[in-house]
Amino acid sequence: MTDFLRSTTLRWALGIALWSVLLALTMFAFIYWQTAAYLREELAETLRLEVRAVAADPASAALRVDTWTAMDLHANHYGGLFGSDGTRRAGNLDAMPEHLARDGDADRVSAVVQVAGRRLDDEIWAAALPLPDGSTVVIAHDSDEIDRVRVTTLRALGLGLVPTLALSGLGGLLLARRGRRRLAATEAALAEVMRGDLRRRLPVGTRGDEFDRLAANVNRMLDEIEHLMDEVRSVGDAVAHDLRTPLTRLRARLERSRTQARTVEAFHETIDQGLAWIDQTLAMVTAVLRIGAMEEGRRTAFAPVDLGEVAAAAVDLFEPTAEEKGVHLTLAIAAGLPAIQGDRDLCFEALSNLLDNALKFTPQGGAVCVRLMRLGGTVSLAVEDTGPGLPATERDKIFQRFYRAEVARQTPGNGLGLSLVAAIAKLHAATVSVHPASTGGCRFDLLFPAARTG
Amino acid sequence: MARVLLIEDDAETAGVVLDDLRGRGHAVTWAATGPEGARAARGGAWGAIILDRMLPGQDGLAVLQDLRRDGDRTPALVLSALGDVDERIRGLRAGGDDYLAKPFALGELAARIEALLRRPVDSRETLLRVGSLEIDLIAGTGRRGARDLELLPRELKLLAYLMRAPGQIVTRAMLFEEVWNYRFTPKSNLIDVHLGRLRRKLEASGEPPLIQNVRGLGFTFTPDD
Repeated sequence: MTDFLRSTTLRWALGIALWSVLLALTMFAFIYWQTAAYLREELAETLRLEVRAVAADPASAALRVDTWTAMDLHANHYGGLFGSDGTRRAGNLDAMPEHLARDGDADRVSAVVQVAGRRLDDEIWAAALPLPDGSTVVIAHDSDEIDRVRVTTLRALGLGLVPTLALSGLGGLLLARRGRRRLAATEAALAEVMRGDLRRRLPVGTRGDEFDRLAANVNRMLDEIEHLMDEVRSVGDAVAHDLRTPLTRLRARLERSRTQARTVEAFHETIDQGLAWIDQTLAMVTAVLRIGAMEEGRRTAFAPVDLGEVAAAAVDLFEPTAEEKGVHLTLAIAAGLPAIQGDRDLCFEALSNLLDNALKFTPQGGAVCVRLMRLGGTVSLAVEDTGPGLPATERDKIFQRFYRAEVARQTPGNGLGLSLVAAIAKLHAATVSVHPASTGGCRFDLLFPAARTG
Repeated sequence: MARVLLIEDDAETAGVVLDDLRGRGHAVTWAATGPEGARAARGGAWGAIILDRMLPGQDGLAVLQDLRRDGDRTPALVLSALGDVDERIRGLRAGGDDYLAKPFALGELAARIEALLRRPVDSRETLLRVGSLEIDLIAGTGRRGARDLELLPRELKLLAYLMRAPGQIVTRAMLFEEVWNYRFTPKSNLIDVHLGRLRRKLEASGEPPLIQNVRGLGFTFTPDD
């Protein structure tokens, strides 16, 4: 229950009730004001007409005043004919009311009246006009009727407020409850997600309102988180797996040489082999860490980079190796290339990985070509080979960490080279993609946004 | 004999490095903390300083920055943990002369320290002659004895770097950084292929070899006179 008291539900219910009451009050006030004004105007008009009629016939003024006062049985009518000295000549008003202007207009004044022989103080509506002989005629009416309308109206309002409050409170509660039910379903689903079930999704209604849109957005976020978690898990598994292989070998080798090696040379050989395996695993760990660091998007050392110079240096580095393999390595740089914003060492590393990859899969007598050209607002760096190419189903996967294409299973490598390329591309806001090359092999495309000049 | 200051908090690493460098004939002093290192650096004439980035309670780079601010230009090599992308740039910006990521091969550290101790090399000199070998970096020509060598621009640069450090070990990474001017760890065989070509040109007529392979590490240029 305390939960309920603190909940949004209650606040909503109270808010809705308060709002309805305010609305009802405003409406009532308006109706009351209109009704009262109408009644008052009706009465004033009657008084004005009557006092004028009396004044128009000074001879029978006293008679007319008495007729007016006698006209009603409820003793609501008052009147008086007062001499110029203020003495009453006719009517049931004790004296000429003070503060009453003799202009024939109706005003609310207090006066002393005689009803059934008793003298009473009363609030009356009265109109007065002077007569030619100096006397004054007053025609008046009790204000009780109008006051009664006010009292009745206020009572009705009071009586009406209770059910209004109750009904609106109930309505508010119902609405809030409904909102709460939707919220409860969402809360339950979220609780399961928090307990670790990342496959759970929030219920999304069919109304398409803000609530549904919010739930749909949260679900999309959960999709992304689940995807990332899967990736982290698979990377973790892959790292563990790839570490275990060389470590197992290392362990076996150390154990064997401990019992079998007889010469210093034999021990040295074991140690050298062990160091090589350790370096291999360290290289992998380093690559994973660097990919992680780059994916965080740190870019503190960006400067204009001439990709032409980078490509020339990389091709120069790989050229003798390509020649030994019998692969023709060429470089084609379009004239007038704009610079890009980036890290020249990382650009070199990306291109080196692509070249290493291309050379690995290009058979003797094949060709690898590095092409740099301008494509609209981007600089395109393409590495094309005449290797076996990649089936379409593998093209998206090869940039994933530790993914190794079918053709790569038999070659050395840790499946991180292209992920590193992808991470470097991402850091540079560049896109990397792989396509079938016209020469039958693969073409890797890196599209860098050109640096703004000036 | 050069005096080297090692500022490194990990006793195990420090011990191994001390043994190795002392074994190579250097006088090495070890400081385990930043303040101790800073005091030692100010207190003596050092040939080179090896500085770990991660010191307890302090960034090693701060020590280096302080030294540089005070006008100390002692060559410094910055050590740091592996994997960070911008580490090297930060190290060099703080005034480091070289940078090495942990874990490293002891030979690599020693070769780099020896290169720092050799500095400054007058790299403006464009005519180099060591033993029977002679190269002209402006003309782009080389000669071994009376035989003209046909060298590519990259081979000339490689040879010049080796000739300026005769008898010293030059690692593959050092060669790559100096000659290609990029920071990257290439597959070792890429550099070996370049060196192989260069050697074949130098020894084409059966002359004695000038460049020796140092197992697992790099190369040494040995004059032939």
